[in-house]
Formats: sequence, structure tokens, C-alpha cells
Amino acid sequence: MRKILVVEDEDLLRESYRIIISTEPYDVDTAKNGQEALDKCAEKTYDLILLDLMMPVLDGVGFLERFDNPDTKVVILSNLSTGEVLEKALKLGADSNIIKASLSPRDLLSKVRYEVTSIT
Amino acid sequence: MNYSYRRCGGNLSPEKQSEFRSLKTTHNATLGELERYKLLVDSVEDYAIFLLDADGYIQTWNKGAEKNKGYTANEIIGKHFSIFYLPTDIESSKPERELKLARQLGRVEDEDWRVRKDGSQFWANVVITALRDDHGNVVGFAKVTRDLTERKRNEDLLRSNNAQLKKQQRDLEALNISKDEFISLASHQLRTPATAVKQLLGMITQGFVGDMAPEQLSLVAKAYDANERQIRVVENLLRVAQLDARKVSLQTKPVNLRELFARIVEDHETLVAKKGQTIGLEFEDAVPTSSNLDADHFHMALSNLIDNASKYSQEGERISIAVGTKDDMLYVSVSDNGVGISPKDQKLLFKKFSRIPNDLSEKVGGSGLGLYWVKKVMAMHNGNVSVQSAEAKGSTFVLTVPLEGVDA
Repeated sequence: MRKILVVEDEDLLRESYRIIISTEPYDVDTAKNGQEALDKCAEKTYDLILLDLMMPVLDGVGFLERFDNPDTKVVILSNLSTGEVLEKALKLGADSNIIKASLSPRDLLSKVRYEVTSIT
Repeated sequence: MNYSYRRCGGNLSPEKQSEFRSLKTTHNATLGELERYKLLVDSVEDYAIFLLDADGYIQTWNKGAEKNKGYTANEIIGKHFSIFYLPTDIESSKPERELKLARQLGRVEDEDWRVRKDGSQFWANVVITALRDDHGNVVGFAKVTRDLTERKRNEDLLRSNNAQLKKQQRDLEALNISKDEFISLASHQLRTPATAVKQLLGMITQGFVGDMAPEQLSLVAKAYDANERQIRVVENLLRVAQLDARKVSLQTKPVNLRELFARIVEDHETLVAKKGQTIGLEFEDAVPTSSNLDADHFHMALSNLIDNASKYSQEGERISIAVGTKDDMLYVSVSDNGVGISPKDQKLLFKKFSRIPNDLSEKVGGSGLGLYWVKKVMAMHNGNVSVQSAEAKGSTFVLTVPLEGVDA
């Protein structure tokens, strides 16, 4: 079973994403900031991380600066469509960017499916 | 003086007598000239023109000096010229310093406050010129003074108005920045819960959490749509605030035009299909393969026009996109057969927060920011957006940008 980590500080969103993605056979964990995500990654190797960028404690860029696991694919899930923060995140190894506000639950699920199947 | 050749001797030879007469005529002519010159200086009213002796004592006085400084000739002749200076200037030996400079340089000019007889001050332009005898010794000074108080007052007024305007401009700019920052912050804050609502309602409408009675589902679907509109408004606000705050920069790179437009059309096909609408895309042969563009901006601008075309057209209509070139410009037109826009409303179309009332505008909602953003972003590209339309006859919006041909 593919392992997915959702990193999102907004409780409602984090919980929604967990419920939506869990409707398919994935092993879904959540973290509410970059630090929690680093802690979880120390215990488990994930196939896919959905990473918000603007978060307290440790933000998405901070997480990417400290995270280094070539076996994990990181996809940005934020509301930033342009700008320095996003560019920095993409330079630090994030694979692609999804705009949260444009995504319905079904869209999210098909994106996750697409990202997971494109993992070699 | 009375020159008489008789008093000089009546026994001159006829030649000498003739020479003497000629000298007398020249002398009288010179005297006449001096007299006229004195009259001229005396009668000048706008300039104080007078002579000082080598130590700075006043020797002559004209009408302009009297008018300007308030002293009559009788009152002032024989007085030292420092009487016209402010006490602080006298203390710092300014009058002496100016004479010294005039002596050294031949001429000295100053603009400063001076004092009239009645103690009032005036802004004076003063020129002191040293007068020398045949041996080069300074025998006195000519002093010309002009009262420029009015000019000075106007200049000061202008300067103070200018400073005030600059301050107001700075204040307004600061206010505008804080407004943009406020909108930016507020939009971010509004978007987060709206995004959460979208997921929660979406989970219900898309059947992630079990079934619902059709009536209930229809209400939730309406709530979902309303939330969608709110997200769009917030995003437009955010986009415009960023653009207004000049926080947006162009990221141009060579873009494959056919691929870009195909992708944009593909992105919208599902959406317009919900209204039974279709999108047609046509390319002129002359369109180059690629051009230097900010693909994201262009995508958003064109998306905006396609969204509008769809929103303001009835179900089942076709939206036509044509891409062509003319005079090194890329032309992209988006045409619909929708409700159209009257000439009067076309003028408002690209203004911030303008909403044009028509049969569909109540139904489709909107922020009045979309076309404003398109106009601004096209201007950033040195391009433009324009419209051709008539009520009930559909609309054609045209985007133009300079073609910067890359591997055409």
C-alpha cells in the first residue's frame, strides 16, 4: 500500500484531505507543520508528500531544506500560484504545484492517483 | 560753468578761436549727455541706483531708491549704506565684506533680506560694482538694488505648496500600499476557510460521505457554488492587489504558442461543456511556433476572457478563439454570440470594480476585477486588450502582445 503524508496546518483541510484520500487504498498520515512532518518522515518512508507552504513552526520551504529522501515525491499543495516562496520550494526539489482553492475532492483524488501511479 | 572765449583772451588767432569754439561745442554736448544720463538714472522707479564713496557712504539717490527704501535724498545722502542691512548682517560685517569683495572682484551680487526706513524688510537683489579712476584706484561703488519680495513670496509659496503636495503624495502612496497589503492579507485569510468549506461541501456533493436526499443535495450544491464564487472573488482581489502593489514581475521565456493555446482551451472545455458550449481554436499560418511570453499571465488573461464569453452566452453557444499576427504583434480574439455590451458600458468595462448590468450579470456574479486585471497585465507585456461588441450581438475581445519571435 502506497504511503502518503499530508502536511497542512489548517485543521479542517487536513482532516478533509485525510478522509478524501483514505477513500482509496492508501496509507494516509497527517502532520500540521514542517517539523511534525520531519518527525514522521524519520519513522517512515513515504511515497508521496502533499506539502502546504505557509505554516507555523516550520514552513514548507523550511521542511524542504531539511528533508532529503530521493524515494519520496513531494507535491506542493498551496494557494500560491506564483512568487518567490513557490519558486524556492520548487528549486528545493518539490516536484510540482497544485492550487488548493481550485481543487474539488474528486480533483484531489485524481491528482493523488496520478502522482502515485507516476512514481516509478 | 560759463566758458567764454573772451575771458580766456580776445587776442587769439582766428585758427585758435575756431578750435576753441569747437572744443566748447564738444564740452557742452558732453555735459548735455551727462545731464540726460543723470535724468535717466534719477527717473528709474523700479531700481534703486545710487553711488557710494570708497568707504561706503551714500553720495547720490534716485527715485527708485526713494520708493524702494523710503528715504528721501536729503535724509540719506552722507549716511553709510549698512543702514539697509539687518542688524545680524551688520554684526557679522556683511556690508564691509561685500565692499571688499566688490573691490577684489569688480562686482558682487547678493540676494537677501534688507531693511526699509520704516523697519519693514524686503527681499533684495543687490549688485555692487566698484568704480575706478584712470590709475585703477577704487573711488567708489555703484549700487543697484531691486525689490524682489513679491517674486520671493511667490517662490516660497510655490516651494511650500510643492513640499505639501509631495508630502500628500507620499502619504497617499503609503496609504495605497497599506490598502494593498490589507487586501492581500484579508484575501489570504478569507481564502483559507473558503478552501476548507469547498472540501467539506465537496465531500458531500461528490458522494465521499454517503448518500443524501436529492433536496438536501441540491441545497448543498448551491452552497458549494456560492463558495466557489467567493473563492473566485477573493482570488481576483488578491491578484489585483498584488498587481497594484507592483509585487508581480514578468517571467518571460520562449513558449510554444500552439501548445499553450491548446492547453488553455483544454482547461476550459469541461467547464463550458456544462452549459453545452464548445470552444473553437484557429491559427493563422503566419503565427510563429514560439514567442517570448509570460505563459502564466497569458493563460490567466485568456482564461478570463473565455470564462466571460461562457458566462455571458446562452447554453449551447460556440466560443471562437482566433490567433493571428499583424505588424509584429500577436492577436488573440475571443468571440461569443452572447448578450453583448453597449458602447456606453464598454467604456466602464476595464475599470476596477465595474460591473455591467445585463440579462446574465445578476446570475453569474463576479468581482468587477477580472478585466481590470487583464488590462493591467497586458500593459505589463506592452500589449493591450480591446473589445468590439453590440447589445444582443455578442462580443469579441482581442488581446495583443508584441511578438518576440523565437525559432519562428
